[in-house]
Amino acid sequence: MRFGRISKVVGVAAAAVLALSACATQGGGSSSSSSSAAATKQGGSATVVEVNAFNTFNSNTADGNTDINSKISLATHWGFYYVDNQLKVVHNEKFGHYEKTSDNPLTVKYTLNDGVKWSDGTPVTAYDIALSWAASSSYFDDQDSKAKTGTAYFSTAGDPTGLNNTKFPDVSSDGKTFTLTYTKPYADWETAIGSNNGTIDIPAHVVAKKAGLADAKALYDLMKGMKKGDPSSPQPANETLKKAADFYNTGFDTKTLPTDTSLFLSNGPYVVKDMVADQSMTLVRNKDFTWGPTPNLDQIVVRYIGSSPAQIQALKNGEADIIAPQASSDTIQQLKAIQGVTVDQGHQLAYDHIDLNFYGVFADKDVRTAFMLTVPRQDIVDKIIKQMDPNAKPLDSQIFVPDQAPYADSVKNNGSADYQQVNIDKAKQLLNGKTPEIRIMYNKDNPNRVDAYTLIAANATKAGFKIVDGGLGKSDWGKALGKGGYDATIFGWINPGVGVQGVPQIFKTGNGSNFNKFSDPSADQLMDQLIQTTDQSKQVDLEKQIDQKIWASSYGLPLFQSVGVDAYSDRVTGVKYMPNNSGVWWNFWEWAAK
Amino acid sequence: MVTYVVRRLITAALILLGASFLVYNLTALSGDPLEEFRASNLPNAAALMQARTQLLDLNTPAPIRYFKWLGGAAGCVVGQCDLGKTLAGQPVTQALGQALVQTLTLVTGATILAILVGVALGIVTALRQYSALDYGVTFMAFLFFSLPIFWIAVLLKEYGAIGFNNFLAHPDIPIPAALGIGIIAGVIAGVVAGGALRRKAIVGAIAFAFVTLVLVVASLTQWFRYPGLGLGVILIAGVGLAFGITVLAAGLQNRRALYAGLTTVVIGAAVYFPIQPLLDLATPLMIVILAVVTIAVGVAAGYFWGGYDRGQGMRVGGITAFVVAAMILLDRFMQSWPAYFDNGKIRGRPIATIGAATPNLQGDFWLSGIDAFTHLILPTIALVLISLASYTRYTRSSMLEVMNMDYIRTARAKGVSERSVVMRHAFRNALIPIATIVALDIGALIGGAVITETVFSVRGMGFMFLDGISHVDPNPVMGVFVCVAITALFFNLVADLIYSALDPRVRVK
Repeated sequence: MRFGRISKVVGVAAAAVLALSACATQGGGSSSSSSSAAATKQGGSATVVEVNAFNTFNSNTADGNTDINSKISLATHWGFYYVDNQLKVVHNEKFGHYEKTSDNPLTVKYTLNDGVKWSDGTPVTAYDIALSWAASSSYFDDQDSKAKTGTAYFSTAGDPTGLNNTKFPDVSSDGKTFTLTYTKPYADWETAIGSNNGTIDIPAHVVAKKAGLADAKALYDLMKGMKKGDPSSPQPANETLKKAADFYNTGFDTKTLPTDTSLFLSNGPYVVKDMVADQSMTLVRNKDFTWGPTPNLDQIVVRYIGSSPAQIQALKNGEADIIAPQASSDTIQQLKAIQGVTVDQGHQLAYDHIDLNFYGVFADKDVRTAFMLTVPRQDIVDKIIKQMDPNAKPLDSQIFVPDQAPYADSVKNNGSADYQQVNIDKAKQLLNGKTPEIRIMYNKDNPNRVDAYTLIAANATKAGFKIVDGGLGKSDWGKALGKGGYDATIFGWINPGVGVQGVPQIFKTGNGSNFNKFSDPSADQLMDQLIQTTDQSKQVDLEKQIDQKIWASSYGLPLFQSVGVDAYSDRVTGVKYMPNNSGVWWNFWEWAAK
Repeated sequence: MVTYVVRRLITAALILLGASFLVYNLTALSGDPLEEFRASNLPNAAALMQARTQLLDLNTPAPIRYFKWLGGAAGCVVGQCDLGKTLAGQPVTQALGQALVQTLTLVTGATILAILVGVALGIVTALRQYSALDYGVTFMAFLFFSLPIFWIAVLLKEYGAIGFNNFLAHPDIPIPAALGIGIIAGVIAGVVAGGALRRKAIVGAIAFAFVTLVLVVASLTQWFRYPGLGLGVILIAGVGLAFGITVLAAGLQNRRALYAGLTTVVIGAAVYFPIQPLLDLATPLMIVILAVVTIAVGVAAGYFWGGYDRGQGMRVGGITAFVVAAMILLDRFMQSWPAYFDNGKIRGRPIATIGAATPNLQGDFWLSGIDAFTHLILPTIALVLISLASYTRYTRSSMLEVMNMDYIRTARAKGVSERSVVMRHAFRNALIPIATIVALDIGALIGGAVITETVFSVRGMGFMFLDGISHVDPNPVMGVFVCVAITALFFNLVADLIYSALDPRVRVK
């Protein structure tokens, strides 16, 4: 009896130990530190902070085109060119070669090098370029959204105008050459193919398979058999292409690493290894990548931190190596106070400006000129920007920013010299005793705009202007743009950095962003010429002339560029400031760990 | 009862409908969803504006859009939820799932801790009404309550993470610092001790000497770099706790309960070394099983010691066993600390300021456990500090009220020991109103940690809500709203039901 009880206890204990060891991990508990120590030795890793969280591997669509998605696409893909921090287009000759083969009609030939392949081993072919073209050209779309007819296939965040005016592209039989013939000359042909910083980022063979087609060539052949879409005579939707497009538009959306590896194929320096939804993402070296500079780091970790103070503290605590917080004088002061951290400051492409309406009280050019003479641009810069950037100067060109090479030259001759100093006397002279009433509209929820308005209003009053505060709330001022009801407006624009297509959008008669109804026939003519000029040096000449015309017609004044700031710890090297929205990522392959 | 519940559910559904209509329209009318494109100089700004208009269906007036949304949301009842999509094209249901996990990770521990600490402080301050301790705790509770959380959080990050990590690089505590901390500990101990001035002074002096000594020893042995409890500390602390738990749960005169507690301490010490190889292979499931086994052993110890009140012995045994096991667990975590500290991903700066985990940290149960701890400690402290006040004050007033009841006087008069009066007669009844507050707080917490989430960079429900509002996108806002509203309404109902279950005087009709 006694023995029986003990044996029962032993039995239960043995069963318990068995059960416990069954739910134990495999292997010992001491193997953890050795593996990670080995990882830091090869090339090292760096942690970059981004404001927004990643959510799709296709950053070309209207919904997916956020800064973080584009940056990940940039790091994991490669293309015919990239944009450097001088805002110049640099060709990637190791990836492939492209050149203009004819000016009339404009023909561009793209040739891919051998050995360039996706991370699943499939070669990158001209069919991939064809998909990129089809998606960003809206070539097949025949949707008329007012009449609710037709079909919209691929969603695109970019401007399809240039690529839409082409013939259906030719692909050579070996799939290596892609030839695009434009039906209208297109000035920005050099950056037309490859949406995000020139990368070819969506594998056509994957999209084709998801649409039930055999391979990338089948998708190309399908598109070849279709006519260019025409909203005025909508055709029944092509089901297969619609399926492919639907997959293209939403199939790459994910916040966690998909089990289907074909959704995140790389053809660039890095491949995605791990994703934690809304927290972090890990990129590791693409071992196959030989068609471009070999990156230094083995691993790049991206962490998403929305608030700037949190970014700064993460950098200070060593959890982040590279950050790009929103620039404010607080941010910059805090960053400069951290030891072992380099702070890089520069301009952003966004700039504030004051525009004068070419109707109403400002229809008279003398009144416009008089008003412009009273705008204290230096004071505005001193008040808003100086505390962040002691070397800040007012922006002196309507077309260029100082980061672009032609800026200095254009500024010399564009007539901005007349508005370097406030000249109340001359303004009074021009007004000739008149006291025009000026209503200035701006976003009164933006402190910088309020400051600018206050300084402008104070000075203009000295010259005899009667200033009416037309400031509107955050959600109202945008709607009021171009609707009249004000005479001058202070707001911001973003210089595209590369390309000339943005110039007529703002300054051509009747165009979408021409809110002040500026109209100068000779400038219009120059702009018509500009968007058809395929030679870059000629483009710059034309732009300089347009800049001059705008200043000469007393359009209004550019005020200042926004300040951007990057900061990185001494653990990493090679980080350089970039004004456009690629930010620090523009030269990620040069980053290295110390 | 059933009619009551049904009636409440119907009211809840009506409230939900009305509130969701209001919230939807307020969000939709709160701003201009096309604002980012209005002043844009992109050549395709008009196309983008049209795409956004189509995505958000802006051509339909907001009140009518609400009913479209409601149609999709009604599908949830039959299991086909369609709460629409966010601006990024993600289904709201999916986004909610991810956000909910993040929020729950953040608030669960903090809520439990706040309740435990808050209730304990409330009881103690009620028993020592108008003492220095009472005033001290009240002062601190209100101080923390009134501090803005973003400020507390930023301070915690600056000193609790960045400063503490700097300290860990060279964990030497200079003698003056050790003395200073010792003095503070002494004063606190003196205030807590209560009684005559002489007693306060003695307790304070002992605490001062003890803390200072511990700090000096910790500094000399580099304890903060290579922490551990060891068998000795577990044994000594275990015996002390066994006495303490017996005092609270049974009273020292119940010797058998004390022996049960001490037995479990001895068993714990005996298995300390044999259990280590098993712990090296630990998984969460194993820890849960071990915890159950431990409590069972403690209860068994109490059962076998028997005595006139077997239940008390079993309780003491179980609680003591749990605490001792927790110490062994803590000791095991501490053994993994140096490995965590030297890990290439941590680089000697363990306390984190953002997120919920170190990316790519591949480690066993212990390493990932420490990692979760180092990430959650600061937000947890921040949340506990600000929510302490309500629990402390509610418990205190509820306890005071109960302590002044006639039946307490009766209990005292018939000679019940003070321990029994406090723990049995007063404490349990004082908890009844607290149950309501706790239930309501759980509903509020899910959507209520907005600022904490922002500061600690956790993309939970609060972030989703704010992000939706700032983009004038009603779908995610409604998703969060529906979740929070349903939890709040549900816990409201639960609170009422619990109340009637706990308090026989209250009956639902």
